Amino acid sequence: MLLYTLTRLAYLAMVLVVMSILVFLVTQAMPGDVASMIAGQFASKEVIDAITVKLGLDQPLIVQYGRWAAGILQGDLGRSLVLEQPVAPILMEALSRSLVLAVVALAVVTVIGIGLGVLAAVRRGRLADQMVSGVSYLGIAVPDFFWAIVLVLVFGSYLKWLPTGGYAPLSDGFVPWASHLVLPVVTLVLMLIARIARLTRSSMIDVLQTNYVKYARAKGLPEKVVIVRHALRNALLPTITVLAIDFGLILGGVVVIETVFSFPGMGRLLLFAIQRHDLPLIQATILIISTAYCLANLTADLLYAFVNPKIRHGMGNA
Amino acid sequence: MTALVPLSAAASPDPTPASATASAAALLEVRNLTINYASPRGTLRAASDVSFAIRPGEVMGLVGESGSGKSTVAMAILDLLGEAGRIDGGEILFEGTDLRRLSAAHRRRLRGDRIAAVFQDPFTSLNPALTVGRQIAEPLVQHKGFTARQAAPRVEELLAEVGIREPRRIAQSYPHQLSGGMQQRVLIATALGCDPKLLILDEPTTALDVTVEARIIELLAGLCESHHLSALFVSHNLGIVNRICNSVCVLYGSEVVETGRTRDVLARPVHPYTKGLVAALPRITTDRRHRLSSIPGTVSKLSGASESCVFAPRCPFAEETCRRLPQALRGDAAGNSVRCWKAEALAGTPWPEESTASRPQAAPPARSAPLVQVDALRKVFGERRSILPWLRRDGTVAVDDVSFTIQRGEVLGVVGESGSGKSTIGRSLLALIEPTAGTVLFDGADFVKQAKEGDRDLRRRAQLVFQNSAASLNPRKTVGAAMERPLVLAGRQGEAERREMIAALLTRVGLPAAYADRYPHELSGGERQRVNIARALATDPEFVVCDEAVSALDVSVQANILNLLADLRDELGLSYLFITHDIAVVSHIADRVLVVYGGTICEEGPIGRVLRPPYHPYTEALLSAVPRLGGAEDGPEPERILLEDSTAPPGGGGCAFRGRCPRKLGAICDERAPPVQTAADGHRIACHIPLAELAERASVFPELAALH
Ligand SMILES: Nc1ncnc2c1ncn2[C@@H]1O[C@H](COP(=O)(O)OP(=O)(O)OP(=O)(O)O)[C@@H](O)[C@H]1O
Ligand code: SF4
Ligand code: SF4
Ligand SMILES: [Mg+2]
Repeated sequence: MLLYTLTRLAYLAMVLVVMSILVFLVTQAMPGDVASMIAGQFASKEVIDAITVKLGLDQPLIVQYGRWAAGILQGDLGRSLVLEQPVAPILMEALSRSLVLAVVALAVVTVIGIGLGVLAAVRRGRLADQMVSGVSYLGIAVPDFFWAIVLVLVFGSYLKWLPTGGYAPLSDGFVPWASHLVLPVVTLVLMLIARIARLTRSSMIDVLQTNYVKYARAKGLPEKVVIVRHALRNALLPTITVLAIDFGLILGGVVVIETVFSFPGMGRLLLFAIQRHDLPLIQATILIISTAYCLANLTADLLYAFVNPKIRHGMGNA
Repeated sequence: MTALVPLSAAASPDPTPASATASAAALLEVRNLTINYASPRGTLRAASDVSFAIRPGEVMGLVGESGSGKSTVAMAILDLLGEAGRIDGGEILFEGTDLRRLSAAHRRRLRGDRIAAVFQDPFTSLNPALTVGRQIAEPLVQHKGFTARQAAPRVEELLAEVGIREPRRIAQSYPHQLSGGMQQRVLIATALGCDPKLLILDEPTTALDVTVEARIIELLAGLCESHHLSALFVSHNLGIVNRICNSVCVLYGSEVVETGRTRDVLARPVHPYTKGLVAALPRITTDRRHRLSSIPGTVSKLSGASESCVFAPRCPFAEETCRRLPQALRGDAAGNSVRCWKAEALAGTPWPEESTASRPQAAPPARSAPLVQVDALRKVFGERRSILPWLRRDGTVAVDDVSFTIQRGEVLGVVGESGSGKSTIGRSLLALIEPTAGTVLFDGADFVKQAKEGDRDLRRRAQLVFQNSAASLNPRKTVGAAMERPLVLAGRQGEAERREMIAALLTRVGLPAAYADRYPHELSGGERQRVNIARALATDPEFVVCDEAVSALDVSVQANILNLLADLRDELGLSYLFITHDIAVVSHIADRVLVVYGGTICEEGPIGRVLRPPYHPYTEALLSAVPRLGGAEDGPEPERILLEDSTAPPGGGGCAFRGRCPRKLGAICDERAPPVQTAADGHRIACHIPLAELAERASVFPELAALH
């Protein structure tokens, strides 16, 4: 398991290096010249040239990349051109908000989604199953922004129970903090839960037909024990993977939802940076998002291996 | 046989005094049990009017072909039929109480406590995510109120009782870390935990290797004896039933056709179906002309109540009366019963033999240039080279330094247990696997190289028939369509010509030509295997690799297919590499055999030589483990050699069998590869024990001495 983890971490490092090169190259290719942007619209050519030299923009790409990458390794993500302050704190703030959103939404999805999936599998073909399936289809068929807009209109504009958007830090008190979170979380849950419920249902149905579940029944174990200890544990393997990947997705920003609810997370930060051609901010944001995504994937694989003893014990030399 | 007393309810509504006294003593009595499955195509009868009784301490075998309803009856006793199955009548009396009258919760409390079970496939019966110790403890915690901590010493005790040497370590391992034999021991330990009265064993050894099976059967027999356990032993293997069961109950088409004491039923079967079943069982023989008896036709699926004897469509003794009247189970005073009105009249009549006398003696294989020549074949799987040291992997050696030849018209058998490299050898011969080292010459040409260069003619000349007949046919293609491609490969361009060929090939394998329009799901297992053989023959091959080609089939069907393969060999001069784990099967078809263990050949020679001493120690154990039907007629049972449970063959130098060898000499076996010693007739044995000493052992099959 340790070797497996080390190997995976080595791969992760390689992926991130490649990713950083790609990010760097792509942002270089974007229209707009950094130096003239910093200097302002009416600056003279001399000023622009001076800034170019000062920032090292006249040097070969590879040198520029080296400097950028070295900075990142030392924790320096650069300075935002538009906001005129270091990128790192801006990013951390957005990331922490996205993190809150992801944790809360996924906690809800995990509990309810898995619960519904198990219920549907155990009562396969009966009313409860049909209802879960019907609702799941609805959840998958209807696009996420639709829910977002409906929710804002109903609970925000019409009923005025909840704020229509924005974010309040926890330091403002629990109620404002939570009330700002409710709508985006509910939208995310509606978006993700259908897939989790259906996935859990289908793997649960497979597992319920295995010999070991039959044998667990032959031991005279009560149905509850059979389902939780013997079936669910094994049925969760694919679900765990999908949950971890979803987590990475939310961390990386869900642009549509963040926009509708004016939620200042990673998605909106990236959007802002792109609209304003803030190259250092774009580069850093994309890099962080990719890292978050890769880490989520890694966590998924490690969790999978951990829950599955066949992999846990067999991976020593793999 | 004494006066027949009707036993079945159909014949007499109230039980006779005789059966009433029998039931008073019975631990389990099943009376007139009828079970139906609801399926999309209507209800399907899986058990009708099934009655039998098991006394305390009695082990009863429940035998019959696939689909005869054995597992259904076993699961009904456990109340584990599932949603589709429904008991439509009858009683299941356990210690005098009808289980069907109890509440589901009450039945659950009996399960795992008073009535425990062991299923067929130990690996899939164990939860992969829990340690085996925890799984063994579950019934103790559930039924006996143990805490997990209290259960631990009992778990170790149980593991020790089923013959596991390091109970503490094994209790902490996960199922995938154990061998098949150990997994089955774990299940047996689980079943024994609460000191049950009755064991339901559904094919407990079917998934195991012969040598392991012999050990498990020995263990079960000992446990039943020492704990005074009763058991229902579901099996399709008459040899094993003969070993362990006091009584036997034969099912055919969802009905009990014969039941009685094992030695009566198997030695002198009365019902025609039982006669056929016993006759179709391959026995050890070395006569090339011999053909097995077989039961024509296949089991027909039943839905409604039968209007005639269920066996009538396949019974060689059937008369008009049989087709008019459903048969009732009639018992005699000794407690044996039969469902056939002609039973008494047929008592001395054997099952008709397949005519062998008229068959011309096939020409023995020509001693010219060999058709297949394998030299120093080696195959390593999963080896990985990498610059990162922790990514390097040695891989498993599946086949190591294997050399042999096959003559034209010769059948070379390959026997050995699972994982011994049999299939790898077969696949390497067809270039389906690229050997790591060594050469395979087919008719003098390097097969692997030619195949890589796209030589289609070689592909045409060598074909494969493998075990899983269901998976090898595309479910969406008709039989005819499936045979098109090989015919095109063989250069048959015209469509009309191909259609004619398909009809001819189907006839050749004993199927009606109209089967060309059928889909695989409309065929029985045996028919599907015939289609596979027909498809292999389509390219007009000279050499066919049969990889466990008859292993998944019922005895009666297996006999059929074996006869067909033998006919094709004699008439078309085909050569086969015949891979199987079944010694009796190989003795029927092969001219020569290779015995493989851990990827190496331990013994090779003409079948008649290999079956007689001198034996390689592994061959001797393998042969002695073969479960057989034997009564007074076959002479006293020779002593069995029981091997340790299989362990992975140790790598490095030395003998591959050294980990389990009962005759291991010592350090020399660990250090040096055994020398190949040649006896008469090209009989070769790789062992450090001198031939003369190996020859001193008694023959495992004394009956063979009389044969030649
Ligand atoms: N869940 C099910 N639904 C519908 N039909 C079933 C089901 N289970 C079994 N059957 C059918 O019931 C009949 C008896 O099946 P059963 O499994 O008892 O046979 P068996 O004698 O144990 O065979 P095998 O030797 O292959 O294990 C078969 O025709 C089978 O196809
Ligand atoms: S009743 Fe007739 S058909 Fe049935 S087994 Fe007896 S002889 Fe054969
Ligand atoms: S060489 Fe040694 S270990 Fe191998 S079979 Fe012979 S006696 Fe047994
Ligand atoms: Mg079965």
